[in-house]
Amino acid sequence: MAEGNRKLVDSRGSACPGPITDLAIAYRNSVVGDEIELWATDPGVKADVQAWAAKTGNIIESITDQGDKIVVLIKIVKR
Amino acid sequence: MIDESTQHFFQPQLLYIAFKGESKPDARDERKLLKRHVKFVNERVTEVNLNERIVKTANGSYSYDFVVIATGIVTNTAAISGLGDVNSTFGDYHTNFGQAKRLWNSLNKFAGGTIAIGQSYPLCKCPPSPLEGAFLTEEFIRKKGLKEKTRIIFFTPYPRAYPAEGINEIVAPMLKSRGIEVMTFFDVDRIDSSSNTIYSIEGDSIKYDLPIIVPPCTGITSIKYTPDSILDRDHLIIVDKYTSKVKGFDDAFAIGDAAALPTSKAGVGAHLEAKVVAKILSGEDAKFNGRTNCPFDTGYGKGTFVIGSYDEPVVKYPVTRMNLFMKHMMEKIYWGSLKGTYDFIFDMYFNMTSPEKLKKKYGTGTVQEPQQKQ
Repeated sequence: MAEGNRKLVDSRGSACPGPITDLAIAYRNSVVGDEIELWATDPGVKADVQAWAAKTGNIIESITDQGDKIVVLIKIVKR
Repeated sequence: MIDESTQHFFQPQLLYIAFKGESKPDARDERKLLKRHVKFVNERVTEVNLNERIVKTANGSYSYDFVVIATGIVTNTAAISGLGDVNSTFGDYHTNFGQAKRLWNSLNKFAGGTIAIGQSYPLCKCPPSPLEGAFLTEEFIRKKGLKEKTRIIFFTPYPRAYPAEGINEIVAPMLKSRGIEVMTFFDVDRIDSSSNTIYSIEGDSIKYDLPIIVPPCTGITSIKYTPDSILDRDHLIIVDKYTSKVKGFDDAFAIGDAAALPTSKAGVGAHLEAKVVAKILSGEDAKFNGRTNCPFDTGYGKGTFVIGSYDEPVVKYPVTRMNLFMKHMMEKIYWGSLKGTYDFIFDMYFNMTSPEKLKKKYGTGTVQEPQQKQ
């Protein structure tokens, strides 16, 4: 699932408790410089990752709605 | 069926040992829970070789046509610096009866100050249980007359008190009205027991007098799997989320907490996944839809259920006395349900309470900007 320092987190179809769980675990296991590519189908992920990034000081590079999934690209600059 | 233990424990009881003082462990002899034709092997599994279709134990090996892995998960305090010391002192309600009893004793010794209760790691058994602990702590403290002398802080790695919006909209006002403070985005990094301080990865800290910390969980690391590519970072087994088939294998399944499924780690999941696997083994087409039905004790004799699925968000299901009554009813009929005796009742219940139906009546919560901190 890892490609260089980009980590793909596939959280599509994630039921309770949802994609934020997968992001929190990926963040815990990341280092500064990593990129996390989060895939989700839960529309709530957009607001959650923005609040998460504001809290943790990391950067959301993009949020893209691709129809079958929402793709969020996060740059880890603080850990 | 191979198991190193002869005892099956009713794990949800740990909540009531820790917060209500139940003292008699609810455990049964596994051999008496199985149907007569099932052979029970009381040995410790050391290796599962999926390529060669062999399960090895400390005493021998067993070849198989199909294997179903249901090894569960265990708490792992070693994953967080300082947590082992803290939990061995104060107890916790996710590990075993001894730890839950220790927490009950800690609660009874508490005379006022700050109680920090929460989930230390995003992966845990039973997503409602951290908040159940917070609600039952508040009920205990109030009934003991310590409310005015006590600050209760609930911490969570999530953006809101309960990660799924539907249930969060139910519990957030209750937390506020009961004076339970919430610290969101608090993912425990380390604990310094010399200064009674919990530090988060996000840079926050909480000073405590009584810490009640849900420990991280991990899959069983003492079993060697071949190939090891079926395991994820938390030693959970990677499976197809609909069929529970282990990645890359048609003759191996993993169910319950041991499986890396994108749904709650709760008994209902294990039950429904087991039914799907049984149907597949008997030649039927069957798929698990990710249904959750997690009972949630909110204190003072009331409760709700966390109901959702892979395709349906969690329903904003109300808190009622009847829901808590149903939770306790399930505890009563649990042992009988293991052989499928009550499956016809469960099938009827799951149909009547499908998230598709319930959302029309109760809704699923509004997606909104999450709270940073209360």
